[in-house]
Amino acid sequence: MPGMRLADAWSLLPELAVQERDAERERRRLETLACWAGGFTSEVSLALPDALLLEVAGSLRLFGGLEALLARLLQGIAGQGHAACTALAPTPRAALWLAVAGEAGNAAVPRCLDVADLRDTLGTLPLEVLELDAAQMRRITGFGARNLGDLLRLPRSGLARRLGIGLTTSLAQALGEVPDLRERFRFPDTFRESLELPARVEDAARLLFAAQRLVQVLCGWLAARGSGIAACRLQLEHERGHATLLELVFAAPTRDPERIGRVLRERLERLSLIAPVAALVLLAGAPEPLPGREGGLFGETAAGEGVMLLVERLQARLGEASVHAVAARPEHRPERASTSVAPGLGSAAVFPGPRPCWLLPRPQPLSEVGGRPQRDGPLTLLAGPERIESGWWDAGEAEAVGDVRRDYFVALSSRHEWLWVYRCHEGWFLHGHFS
Amino acid sequence: MSASPVLAEVLSRSDVWRGDSLARAALPGVPSGFAALDAELPGGGWPRGGLVELLPARQGIGELSLLMPALAQVSANELSWVVCVAPPLPPYAPAWAAAGVALSRLLVTRAVGGDAAWACARALDAEGVGALVAWLPESDAGTLRRLQLLAEKSRTLIFLFRPAAAARESSPAPLRIGVTAANDPGRLTLRLIKRRGGALESPLELDMARPAPSPHAVAGPPPSAAVARSLPATAVA
Repeated sequence: MPGMRLADAWSLLPELAVQERDAERERRRLETLACWAGGFTSEVSLALPDALLLEVAGSLRLFGGLEALLARLLQGIAGQGHAACTALAPTPRAALWLAVAGEAGNAAVPRCLDVADLRDTLGTLPLEVLELDAAQMRRITGFGARNLGDLLRLPRSGLARRLGIGLTTSLAQALGEVPDLRERFRFPDTFRESLELPARVEDAARLLFAAQRLVQVLCGWLAARGSGIAACRLQLEHERGHATLLELVFAAPTRDPERIGRVLRERLERLSLIAPVAALVLLAGAPEPLPGREGGLFGETAAGEGVMLLVERLQARLGEASVHAVAARPEHRPERASTSVAPGLGSAAVFPGPRPCWLLPRPQPLSEVGGRPQRDGPLTLLAGPERIESGWWDAGEAEAVGDVRRDYFVALSSRHEWLWVYRCHEGWFLHGHFS
Repeated sequence: MSASPVLAEVLSRSDVWRGDSLARAALPGVPSGFAALDAELPGGGWPRGGLVELLPARQGIGELSLLMPALAQVSANELSWVVCVAPPLPPYAPAWAAAGVALSRLLVTRAVGGDAAWACARALDAEGVGALVAWLPESDAGTLRRLQLLAEKSRTLIFLFRPAAAARESSPAPLRIGVTAANDPGRLTLRLIKRRGGALESPLELDMARPAPSPHAVAGPPPSAAVARSLPATAVA
């Protein structure tokens, strides 16, 4: 009940918990929501202390019409943990007044889509939406005005003289008669949003829900900037200043909340928390330009993108090094001719002789009987030798293959395994399986 | 004998077949590169949308050469990806490239145990994966069943390598092939343990692409003599 004294409230409801309003936190929260709203339009402005104005006329087509946009918007606000009074009007001030008069979370959003209808629609609103001070309110009721319609019917010059130019300007702005210039919300250059959890969370998987809320804000921020990110960090804050840092890496710049959420889920599911988590902070810097949604010519998604999503998911769970491609390099020494590279960067090279499908990481020494290498009996040498003599430049270096001087043969074992063996001054070695 | 209309309808389904004939596949198969094998497989090639279980007697007898023509077809002609899950060693790039696999569309995933099966499932979900080759030595029937269910929803070629001992266990894979070395080392013997259609009594023998002519075809001096000739004394000392 507005205007009630605290003592009266406590006498009625002894278990009432009183929270003081923190204007600074409210403003920060509003800015967070403004970032999130960037996903709908880049024309966002704050109407302090408690409202957000979005210019959505330019976004209707992208979202598939007004109803679809409104549904997404309301669902998103609920996802951010707010119940908002929402209204739709051709002028910002009319939208504000309609919203103030409306009910939070109502399914039917009050709307007025035509400037010509503004006078009728606004006319039904109570005078409270103007948020005037008590003295002005008394004067207006003294005129016999009971709602906004009565006020709009009064001559504007007399109103200005009695109540000041401010009110008449507001009325004119609401009706679209004079322009209503508002400062555009400036999206910050780097992203840092934190979320305090209502209770300490000890299970990493349960953080996902809360983290998704931050991801939605991040994606709104990215959309407003027309960019995507290839990496971001989620900081899990524990009590007493400790924190766990999660690096999320994507195969390509993205601003798709589902894609970021998937990587997040894989990382969180495999995380064991060192202590309960009190708050989450999502940090992102260095956004990269990412063009808007590109629908495929026939509604298909590019095959490469599907695989890149797969790469992300696999890397998130198995580690980045466990998912790779292989590339052949023009290098004579077999150990150096194949390397792991990032997925999609595999490339081929041409080699003079046969090469095995599997190369042993370390050559296996083979025994020798009568000049023939042995493995379950003597090996039959079928092709070769292919002399490989190379690598003097890194001889003696740690981890390097060094100078090699080998004669390679294709050999067949008594069990019909096709092998790649070589002979050097140290004897015979098995180096690969042809399979 | 003429079948009743209802029976004819049932028989026209791709998952129902007469015991004395080969089943029809819902999707045309990928040519395996071996005509003798294609003739015995429903769909005229490696089937899509079902597990193909390969049970090689030993590693290195040529079990991968058996797949290479199909993998090359998928990656080079259909421009889709080949995903290797939990291979025994990292694939050696020069050989895979020489076999015709486009390395720019080859993905290798190292994983063990449950993670390997999970990676297979994710690969089956993904769009643009044409073939999946997985080494799942210790997978149980439950895992295979789940993979088979996922496989039925996809168009991916799926090859699972399992140890030869697994042939004795039952498996949900619609195609199971035992692979052994033939008497002629240039050839490979395939035993179709299970397929959709009548059982194949006699094993198939296929000519493989080998890195060297098989010894029966080799003429000339014994190779060991070539060794002695080729290596200078200084290198041997």
